[in-house]
Amino acid sequence: MARLGMLIDLSACVGCAACAVACKMENQVPAGANRLWIREREVGVFPDLTVEFRPEQCNHCENPPCVPVCPTGASYQTQDGLVQVDYNKCIACGACIAACPYDARYIDKKGGYADKCTFCSHRVAKGQQPACVETCPTYARIFGDLDDPNSEISKTLEAAGRQDVLRPDMGTRPKVIYLNAPSKKGLTQEVMES
Amino acid sequence: MTEFYGLPNTGEFWHWTNALHFVLVGLAGGMAFLAAILTLRQHPERKRYWWLAGILIALDLFVLWAESPARWRFSHIWLFFSFEPGAPIWWGAWGLSAAMAAVALLLLKQWVRLLERIPEGVLGVVMLLGSLVVLAYPGFALAVNTTRPLWNSMMLAIFPITALLMVLAIAILLGSTWAKRWEVWAAALSLGLLLAYPFTLQEAAREHLFREGLVGYALAGLLIAVAALLFRNPRWAAALGLAGAVGLRWLLVMVGQFQSPGL
Ligand code: SF4
Ligand code: SF4
Repeated sequence: MARLGMLIDLSACVGCAACAVACKMENQVPAGANRLWIREREVGVFPDLTVEFRPEQCNHCENPPCVPVCPTGASYQTQDGLVQVDYNKCIACGACIAACPYDARYIDKKGGYADKCTFCSHRVAKGQQPACVETCPTYARIFGDLDDPNSEISKTLEAAGRQDVLRPDMGTRPKVIYLNAPSKKGLTQEVMES
Repeated sequence: MTEFYGLPNTGEFWHWTNALHFVLVGLAGGMAFLAAILTLRQHPERKRYWWLAGILIALDLFVLWAESPARWRFSHIWLFFSFEPGAPIWWGAWGLSAAMAAVALLLLKQWVRLLERIPEGVLGVVMLLGSLVVLAYPGFALAVNTTRPLWNSMMLAIFPITALLMVLAIAILLGSTWAKRWEVWAAALSLGLLLAYPFTLQEAAREHLFREGLVGYALAGLLIAVAALLFRNPRWAAALGLAGAVGLRWLLVMVGQFQSPGL
């Protein structure tokens, strides 16, 4: 049993969206939907100007609000801490979309089910890295078992400076952890604009 | 300034068809509730309400299935092969089914010998319990989403009460005199909730409500207010109250698909 998670080092991310494109291709994500996208935000004014490039995706929350609201059990958490959708059971009711604070989910209209980032579980099962991790040109992403003290992810997390998650106030305990947010105030928020 | 490569999935996830369901399920649950009370009181009008409840429940279940992108995969069967007490929609599936089963048995009892011995009272109780679940669950289905600030706990009151407002209005229009007194109460309560609701919202949510739905909200409020005051003309009161309640439910479902700020 593992506790799979991902680190994204924002001091390395240049927002090139290679990960987002890799995801689209690997997972055949339908047009109009995204499992992974980049949010780019400027903070401050010259000369104290910062740009945050922030890839976002399903956080595979440890306390995922999308799971208990699912009326069929289609949305579930694996023993390894992944939040997944069993397409056969999904009735595309959208309850999970309503519950997700991160806009991570969409309805695959052709398939008729809810979908989102799977942490590339099909690749992980074969011992490969998620497509976004593999493709990242700046090595900003690290994927692995947060419970294994010898894993690269645990060691990096241990040594890391600033760590943030999105919307910690939601109590979801995300397992996509952002390192080294460029702004001193941490991850940017909508309200910080202007 | 915020820019994206790709986009978060912020679009509308519940469309007008779902808003329609939120209206229909109010009618279905409310009508089953009236039918159950009339059954338990052995009221002479009860049969008519069994029919009404049955038709409305069936219509709502049909709309739910028909509007679902999963309709041809027939995955809805899993609603009944799962135990998901944390999911309001799961409760709704069972509540609607229980009420429907009770209605069907009550209607069949009249013709099928074998069913004659099932006491009406028992079916009335099943229908009552089912209808209470159906009345309650839409509000819960919205309010569980703590990340949607417009869908706060007021939904738990607004949805059942506007459901009763709608079905009592229909009862009046169908000539059931007992409905008049209750309709006034339902309208007054709905109006009170409607007036209080904006004050229960966080600022960003209130701004969003007024930006996206002010006209609709004001209109629904006006209709329900007039309905509450029209003692002299219950039919007009019923029609206006019905329209106001439909509008309010519709609007809350559509406008409430708003993510709390913070990303
Ligand atoms: S990010 Fe959204 S979809 Fe992913 S686990 Fe958390 S709540 Fe569920
Ligand atoms: S859309 Fe599918 S996965 Fe999401 S809550 Fe409904 S049944 Fe569950």
